[in-house]
Amino acid sequence: MKRDSPPAFACWLLKSVIPVTYREAMLGDLIEEYALRAPSSSPLTASRWFWSQACRSVPSMVWSWLRSWDWLISMSIAIGVYIAMGTLKLAADMAISKFVAPRPMTEVVLAPVVFLATTSISGCIAARIRPGVTIFLALMAMITVAVSIALKVCTIPVPWWYQFGFLTLGPLSVLLTPAVFRNE
Amino acid sequence: MKRGELLGSLEHIILLALARLGGSAHGMIVRREIEGRTGRNISIGAVYATLERLEAKGYVSSFTGEPTPERGGRAKRLFRVEAAGKRALQVSEETIRSMSAGLKSRWEGI
Repeated sequence: MKRDSPPAFACWLLKSVIPVTYREAMLGDLIEEYALRAPSSSPLTASRWFWSQACRSVPSMVWSWLRSWDWLISMSIAIGVYIAMGTLKLAADMAISKFVAPRPMTEVVLAPVVFLATTSISGCIAARIRPGVTIFLALMAMITVAVSIALKVCTIPVPWWYQFGFLTLGPLSVLLTPAVFRNE
Repeated sequence: MKRGELLGSLEHIILLALARLGGSAHGMIVRREIEGRTGRNISIGAVYATLERLEAKGYVSSFTGEPTPERGGRAKRLFRVEAAGKRALQVSEETIRSMSAGLKSRWEGI
């Protein structure tokens, strides 16, 4: 982290929840204030101040966001990306089945790779279209995995942590990949 | 301001801060003014959410300034109090004054 740049994850969190109408203005205010505070105090103190502002702003932002119906647009985009994500995963599964013999062990190894690659790509696409969409997409991915586990879609016997990995790492990759690549 | 409609406490404080600052001010300046005068460390999110609400009610107006490098290339949004906002402040002040009239002597007795 550079001395004059605020915590990237806090910025990403704010970008996800601040309504579009004042996203740029509010983030600009915080970045400017951080730049003023950082030289006179330690970077840790300035970062702590930034994080405190970010965390305390989230409830007001979420409430304001819900009132503005902005979430409906984000949800519609998330559904679109989710359908594209499903299509992409289906295409990847079909392509793999052409080259690799269908064995249970191969499926157990390849399934998380395909799933995580698909969720990461979808997360990046969703974040590029509109910040805030990734939260809905992550929720949808989590619900899909939870329903699949409950319905026992996977016929191969796998340990609990394997299924738990799908349930947590999938939504996390949707949320974190755009932040890692900083393309939001 | 509709009859019977009063400003919320944060709306009231933010309108007063904007009025004190005179001209136009952006969210962080408003936050600093409130913190400096009242010691209340309110979040920038609460300031912007309230300013947005006040703008929807027609009490303040806003315009976008020029983007600057120290703000990561982001433009300021400057707010100013409108005539309706000044009236709302007066009505709120009068309401508080009339409701608290005569109470001081009672409180001193408690």
